[in-house]
This record gives sequence, structure tokens and C-alpha cells, in this order.
Amino acid sequence: MQQTTHKTLYNTHGWIGIISGILLFIVTFSGIPALFEEELAHWQSPNNPVLNVQYQDLDKALLTAQAQGFNHTTFFIQPASEINGNIYFAHYPEDETPAHIVKINPNDGQVIPEANSDLAELLAHLHTDLHLPHPLGRYLVGFAGMAMLLAIIAGIFIHLKWRKEFVMLRPKRSWRLLLTDQHKLLGLWSLPFTLILAFSGTILGLLGLISPILAVAAFNGDVPKATEAVLGPVATITQEYAPSQSINNFVLKQRHDMPNVEMDFIFIDGLDDKGGLIKFSGNHDTKLSSLETVTYQLADGEQIHKGSFVEKGPFQRIFAAVTPLHYVLYGNGWLKVLYALSALAACGLIVSGNMLWLERRHGGKRNADHTKVAKNHWLGQLTLGTCGGLVVATSAVIAASQVLRMFNLGHQQIQWEQALFWGTWLGLLIVPFLYHNSFKLSHFMMRASGLLLLVTLLADGFINGRWLWHSQGWVFNMQGGFLVSALLCFYFDFKIPQVREEKANKSTTKKLLPTEEQYNRDLDSVA
Amino acid sequence: MNWLTQKLRSTTSQIIAALFGALICTVVLTIAITLIWPFGDTVEQIFAGGTFFFVFWAALFYWAMLAPRGTRAWLRMLSILIPAMALDAMMLIGPLT
Repeated sequence: MQQTTHKTLYNTHGWIGIISGILLFIVTFSGIPALFEEELAHWQSPNNPVLNVQYQDLDKALLTAQAQGFNHTTFFIQPASEINGNIYFAHYPEDETPAHIVKINPNDGQVIPEANSDLAELLAHLHTDLHLPHPLGRYLVGFAGMAMLLAIIAGIFIHLKWRKEFVMLRPKRSWRLLLTDQHKLLGLWSLPFTLILAFSGTILGLLGLISPILAVAAFNGDVPKATEAVLGPVATITQEYAPSQSINNFVLKQRHDMPNVEMDFIFIDGLDDKGGLIKFSGNHDTKLSSLETVTYQLADGEQIHKGSFVEKGPFQRIFAAVTPLHYVLYGNGWLKVLYALSALAACGLIVSGNMLWLERRHGGKRNADHTKVAKNHWLGQLTLGTCGGLVVATSAVIAASQVLRMFNLGHQQIQWEQALFWGTWLGLLIVPFLYHNSFKLSHFMMRASGLLLLVTLLADGFINGRWLWHSQGWVFNMQGGFLVSALLCFYFDFKIPQVREEKANKSTTKKLLPTEEQYNRDLDSVA
Repeated sequence: MNWLTQKLRSTTSQIIAALFGALICTVVLTIAITLIWPFGDTVEQIFAGGTFFFVFWAALFYWAMLAPRGTRAWLRMLSILIPAMALDAMMLIGPLT
């Protein structure tokens, strides 16, 4: 590769990271709880039962929900699963007011009291939409994914000595070299996963932007026809009464018609209407596809559409595989853990990249005698405030979801959780601009996060009686996850230096000059 | 004229070509792919375009970034944009099939 090409790719890699790094950190870090959204939702509700029946009576559950005032004709049903042990009925109003949700215990058919915590949704929505109006947030997340993809592509080409960099870490040299080694190590080891996450995330985020244009072009501007071709038919509500058939019978019919598909969602549109439809959608058992659907007429039970992407062309199969690849809807729990660790590595990659950029441009401006601490760069402060603040705010809201239960706040708990999350994040975003010792602040943030996660475990034990050593199933897995995360925070706190370490000694620095540092300096001088 | 040439040659112009020139180029190219994709049904055509979109954008972005100067970056983008636009117009006005 020509040196000019290498330098252009190197600079582009750096600038993409600097411009999109903080947004990328928010999306990537919030992706970790989003990956475990269902598990978090299960853990946050101590009333959630563990599924111990083979057969779920959905008709009876619907009657119970209707007795609770769930009188909607358009709604979703999520049958109970191994993780989420309740039958979930949800109606989402068109005016985007809060959804009406009723949960039924599949074991005894009783209504489950509401958890009054929205922790899983709060963190998952940050990942998918950044809590911005739809579709603005989704597109912004998509652009962040695209930036990650571009940075990864350049990163692959600029690291020519990747075999050596796979195992190179020099913790006793200068702070800058430590950052460089960490950046390369994390990038190389997590590359397959970050590439999958970036590619699938970009498609999920931006396909909504490009597909309407393509659909209009392919269907001569007929948007409803394009929508129907991709998503299947929609109900035509006639307002003419026709009693709907049993949902349990439809479930049996679906299992017969699509035996290799595990249905996750049932969408009922037009209950007891002549034009009403019931649509089952879910994941294929053996192939990567989350877009398997079958639709029946509610009144006469006739199958009117069957959509299986695994039987279609290669690009439809790629699209169907995007969601399973991004949210690990294949493999087992350990694969999810591996994804989460890769996402954590990507977070480290982003932060070390930003710090490295600052070191290379502003590191030399510090006083050589260490008598005075130079004023921090605003980008460093913003990175610390946003990234560190998000970690502490996430730990705080996880702890608050259990601690707030002591005060019996009811529905208000959701508002308290949100206020605490945004308040903590905003507060910590400002702190680095007021308190300039970034190293001390980093230690404080790591310790605070670790302690808050330990408080979560204690609160769960004292308030809900769910002590780690008595727990089982997914509750135990989540608690174990919090404990490991807390230990990881304390480990980082232990490993982060107390002060910025300059070069180890002159002799080692001299040895480095012709190689790594000299090369970096060459690139800096060009920049 | 000199002022315009200087502006077009600049690094800023090159970055704009890489970001927005490549994006516009990709949209037009993707529509062309969707319209002429010979395999599968119409939905397959849409997803062929949609999947290629990100690959094209990344490739065109770096093609523009690696140009020696801004004018060359824009020329590279135009060399894709003009034929793709012509193909789009041809297919939308009078499809081959």
C-alpha cells in the first residue's frame, strides 16, 4: 500500500472516530442492556412466574384480560417463554399514548400485578432510538453504525502488522503507547463481532430511510402494494360482526403449517370483525430468519398469506438474518455474553481512540516538569462526562429499579427511574468541565458504578428476598451478570493509572523511536 | 473561476464529495440496481438494492477520500452518478421489460 493511501486512511479513521465516537459509545454501550432486554424485563419484575406448563390457554387468558378492561380489537399477544414467563397482551394506540398492557400468569391464568419499573424499555429504547422522536433517533443510530463500519474498514487496512498487534501490550511504557496497544488489541480481538454489529445495526437503522425510495421505484409509486408485498396483507375492517375463531385453534394450525418456526408474536387486527386477521410471526428453528409469518382470517380460519424468507432469494435471506445476527436470536446465552463482551470491547475501543487522538495532538502541550496540570481539552471532558456518565447512570437506574420499590411509588416509579437516569447522566456530563482531574474522576465513576451494582444485589435480597445464593434460572443469571459487571468496574478502577504516566525512561523511549512512536509522529506531522 | 477551482480542489470539497456526493451517488446507484436486478421477485429486487446500499456507500466514500484532490473526488462521483441517473431515467420512463 502506498504511504499516501495509508496516511489518508489513518486520518480518515481518526476523524470518523472523533466526530462520531461519543454517539457511537452511547449506541454501543446501551446495546449491552438492549441485548438482554427480555432477561432484564424478567428480572425487574419479581412477580414474574417461571413457566411450568406445556399448554398455554390463550383464549382463557384473553377473557381474563378483557375482564380487566382490555377491550381492544387490535392488539399483540406474546406467549410466555422460558425467559419471559407471562402471557403479554399489549395495545399500542395510534396517537402514541402509552400502551395498554396486561400480563397473565400462564400457570394459573391469573393477572400478574404490574412491576412499576420500565428499566428494560428505558435502556433498550436508548439503543434503538436514543429516546428521540421516531424515525429521527433510528436514523441517527443507523448513521452511527455506518460511521462504525467506515472506521472498521479503514482500521483493517491501516493495521498492516496485525499478527504482532494481536498480542502486543506494553503496560509499563508511556501512557500513549498503552492506549495505542489497547486500541489495537481490542479492535483486533473483537473485529468479527463489531463488524457484524456495525453492518447489521446500519441496515436496521437506515433501511427505513432507503427502502421506501426503492419500494416506490420498484412498485411504480404504489406504497400500499409495496408494504403488502414485504409485510403481508393488512386487515380491512368492515364493522360487520363475525365471531372470531379460537386463538388456541389458530396456534395449533400455525404449528401444523409452519412446524419449523417458533412463533414469538401474535398480532390480532379486527377481533370479531368479518375482515379481521390474525398474524403469527417468529424465528425459524434452524435458519437465521426472524421474519417468518403466517396470516389467517379470524372469522373463517382460512390461511391467506405465508411469508417465509428462508425460501426466498439471497438478499431476502440476508435481510431476514439481520435481526437475529444483531440481537443474538440464535445460539445460547453464552453467545449473548460473548456479544456483550465484544460490545464492551468496542466501547473501550471508542474511548481509547478518542484519548489517543487527544494525546497525539495535545499530549505534548503539557508541562514537562509536572508542576502544573494543563487544562484538559473539551473533547476529553465531553468524552469522560458522556461515556463515564452513561455507565454510572445505567448502574444507578438498575439499582433504583429495586431500591425504589421500598417506597411503593406505583406507576410513579417509572418517572422516578427516568428522572434519576437522565439527572445522573446530565450531572456527570457537566462535572468534568468543573473538576479538571480526569484520572480521579474516572476512578470515581468506576467505583460508583461498581458500588451501585452491588447495591442492586443487596436491594434485591433485602426487598424481594432474592438473594444470589437462593436464586435460580434467569434471575440468578442476571444477578451473576451484575456481580461480574461490578467486579469488572473495580478491576478497571484498579488498573487505570492514578496520574498520566509520561515515558518510562529515556533508554526505552529511544528504543521505541524508530518504530511505533516515530511512525505515529510522522503521521501527526502530516496531519 | 480560479476561486471556484480552488474551492473544488480543497480538502473540504473532497470531504463533502465523500460524504454527500457518495450518498447521492449511492441512492441513485441503488435505485438502478433495484430496477435492473434480474433475479427473484420484486421484493428480492428491493432487498438487493437495500443490502448493496451500505457496501456502495462505504466503497464510494473511500474512493472519494483516496482521490488526490477535491476535483478528482467529484469527478469520480460524477463518473458513477451520471450513468446511474441515465439508467434510472431510462428504466422509470421506458422499462426494458
